[in-house]
Amino acid sequence: MADPKLAWPAKPKLLSTHVQRIDAPEKVTGRAKYTYDINRPGMIYGKIVRSPHPHARIVSIDLSAAEKAPGVKAVLEYSKAGAQVMYQGDPVAAVAADTEERALDAARLVKVEYEALPHLASVEQAMAENAPKVFTPANTRAGQSEETGDLEAGFKAAAHVIEATYATHVITHVCLETHGTVCEWDGDKLTAWVSTQGAHQCAQGFAQSLKIPQANVRVITQFMGGGFGSKFAPDSQGIICAQLAKIAKVPVKLMLDRKEEHLDSGNRPSATAKIRAGVSAEGMLTAFDARSWGTGGAGATSNFPLPYIYNFPNRKRQHTDVYINAGQQRAMRAPGHPQGCYLTEILMDELADRVKMDPVAFRIKNLPPKGPNAMWQDYFEMGAKRFGWDKRHPTGEGGSGSVKTGMGVSAHRWGGAGRGSRAHCDITSDGGVVVKCGTQDIGTGTRTLVTIVAAETLGLPVSAVKAEIGDTVYPFSGGSGGSTTAASVSPAIRHVTMKALDALFAKVAPTLGTTAENLVAEGGRVFVKGTPSKGLSWKDACKVIGTEPVSVDGEWQDGLSGSGTSGVQFAEASVDVETGIVKVTRILAIQDCGLIVSGLTAESQVYGGVIASINFALFEDRILDRSTGHMVNPNMEMYLLAGMSDVPKIDIVINNMPERGVIGIGEPPTVSTASAIANAVRNATGATIRSLPLHPHRVLAAIDQERAGGTN
Amino acid sequence: MSVSRREFLKSAGVSGLATAVTSATVGQAEAQTSPAVIGPGDVPVSLMVNGKRLDLRIEPRVTLLDAVRNRADLTGNKRVCDRGTCGACTMIVDGRTVYSCSTLAIDVQGKPIRTVDGLAAANGTMHPVQQAFCDVDGLMCGFCTPGFVVATVALLEKHPNATPEQMRKGLDGNICRCGTFVRIMEAAQKAKTTMGVRRG
Repeated sequence: MADPKLAWPAKPKLLSTHVQRIDAPEKVTGRAKYTYDINRPGMIYGKIVRSPHPHARIVSIDLSAAEKAPGVKAVLEYSKAGAQVMYQGDPVAAVAADTEERALDAARLVKVEYEALPHLASVEQAMAENAPKVFTPANTRAGQSEETGDLEAGFKAAAHVIEATYATHVITHVCLETHGTVCEWDGDKLTAWVSTQGAHQCAQGFAQSLKIPQANVRVITQFMGGGFGSKFAPDSQGIICAQLAKIAKVPVKLMLDRKEEHLDSGNRPSATAKIRAGVSAEGMLTAFDARSWGTGGAGATSNFPLPYIYNFPNRKRQHTDVYINAGQQRAMRAPGHPQGCYLTEILMDELADRVKMDPVAFRIKNLPPKGPNAMWQDYFEMGAKRFGWDKRHPTGEGGSGSVKTGMGVSAHRWGGAGRGSRAHCDITSDGGVVVKCGTQDIGTGTRTLVTIVAAETLGLPVSAVKAEIGDTVYPFSGGSGGSTTAASVSPAIRHVTMKALDALFAKVAPTLGTTAENLVAEGGRVFVKGTPSKGLSWKDACKVIGTEPVSVDGEWQDGLSGSGTSGVQFAEASVDVETGIVKVTRILAIQDCGLIVSGLTAESQVYGGVIASINFALFEDRILDRSTGHMVNPNMEMYLLAGMSDVPKIDIVINNMPERGVIGIGEPPTVSTASAIANAVRNATGATIRSLPLHPHRVLAAIDQERAGGTN
Repeated sequence: MSVSRREFLKSAGVSGLATAVTSATVGQAEAQTSPAVIGPGDVPVSLMVNGKRLDLRIEPRVTLLDAVRNRADLTGNKRVCDRGTCGACTMIVDGRTVYSCSTLAIDVQGKPIRTVDGLAAANGTMHPVQQAFCDVDGLMCGFCTPGFVVATVALLEKHPNATPEQMRKGLDGNICRCGTFVRIMEAAQKAKTTMGVRRG
């Protein structure tokens, strides 16, 4: 650590406590202005014309009728004749008109002639021997390949071998605030309100795509309605919006509609693996051999970690990316991990059964060595006790009625490790404190985190500090992805406020007849260390500042943050074997994230992660029609998500590890819930469901198969 | 004034849906009894939103949500699914919750309309439901929150002693993507108590 006094306080007043979300009042009253809510004087509305075909060549684009339509102020060819569209929803052209309704009318008048080309609507179609060659150089691409140990020896040492295929499906991010932008030009300067996880990243993206200096671009993201990994760049809709605004010479709002959001704003790739795995008679994993594949849509990758967490000493894995004619994947909350976790954790329960071991004991036996970032053994043991794991019945003995209950367990890990944020702090003679950082709050509570760290450092209540974020006029901070924001921002805020405090102390010290290093700030006062009576209130202390404020810059410092988290989750579920309906009744989530900065919002993250994974397991599914390549549920009534009645009792334990520094918690809690649920369904019914989602017809099919001779 | 769906379809000939339907059956069936045609093009629409009268000129096809958000800059309630599924647009019209994305503005003229923007007192004091959401962190990104707040207000006004089961059912018409459900239930329970005290 650069300066030992930056170390997080041993006895914090605010850190790790429950501080109310700073911007909650704005959000609950509707005063918070999201990008979708920005209404600028003279603003008009943009609409994108998209390909209805999964694969086609554009023969011609005719904008003339649209251009003459009522209220139309701008039309734009985004693609051009001769070019190919590679998925349903690929952008082709755009219009802007004075009302949304008229923009929609005009978009319908854009005449695009297509020559339909052969398309691939599924992984199976793309991998078929006689598949049309849609992608160059091929429909598949050999991905990662790894091999460790001696596979042959590993299988020789196995007393039991399981060979089966496991899979997870494609889901979309379903950000409630769709992707979109409001663009306003002032000469050659662009101001863009963007619903994004990366304001500074978007500024760079606009500058590069529009070929203007980045200094001419300002991006504002005060409030943002969910991104989950899908919102980092301006994307086509952002660039189109800026171009329409330039043509129309008035501000343009362009927000995707719900269908566009499903088709062209990212998704979680599918994952499939044909796995052969061995276990010794003593219950030690011996070998793992997997051929895996998945699709990230048209030309995008699909990799994921496999095997996950557990120690297979001899292993081999070969991955293949498969391209289909669907929108490209984007990072989605813990990219790759929910897939790798599911494929491994279902297998783990099957292997445990083969050696007649309890799933928790079996997992503990095959864990990598314990460490600060590998606390699974403790969490398994603590969780089993807390959850009542001893009441778990043998698999398949879920009761005599039609509704069976069962328990399952699963583990996960995540990295974190943010860095690079910068910040600015002003303290004025009226006692005001403003901390500025160009990060953004994507719903995780970053504004609250900035406020807590600043107030803690300055010995002030949170109400005395103003956090200003979500604007590229503030110092650089990176995109909010990979659970890195807390670890990147917190040290910068600690550093800048400590520097500001030092500067204040230097000014106040003569008044108090001491030197700066003898002063401390606590409880809203500045006083001589050890002599609280010899001091001033914060307000009085700041009076000595004078006209020129304390104004300092700070940045991320080594030693205040860390990386690597671990977690374990337990699930209890009931399964109606007549209808196939699965209900999750209880979840226990045990999670660490290093030093907890904001207790209340950290817990909310865990609740949110668990519920997102319940959605992944039981409800969500992007369904493409296998003939037309069209998504059949690009909405929110057929693309299912949990409602209030679907949410179980969720018990959370967050293990505070202040000695590790700030790490981040956005992603890890969403990794393993789905696997724990599927293992609970297996425990309840005896049927192994190796592919998600656990929709009723798939659950029934697995139960039928189990009755007919076993899913094993 | 109230306009039926059939009358609306007939009048709003510019939308694709309406064109398809009116061209054949509806247009002929109603030829003899049809009332005055409203639209296409802007027509005067008068709405009573949060106790204030809004006089707008909008096309008959404009929804209540879009009228309020785009023409009156009352942007508290959100457009999310735009198909009456997710509840982010929930408003209270004439004492009943409606999906304002699927309600035509011309259809609710003269009726009292309450949006999330109008729930706090004039002096800025939050409604007990809003306060409860803040207290227990019943929100994350906040985009579904206005709809949940309005739905909770309507629920507790109708059922001041709502059971947890009634609360769950009452809030089942709203979707949150961040996963704040657990704490929204806590907020509803807390608001039930504080609203009771206020009435008390």
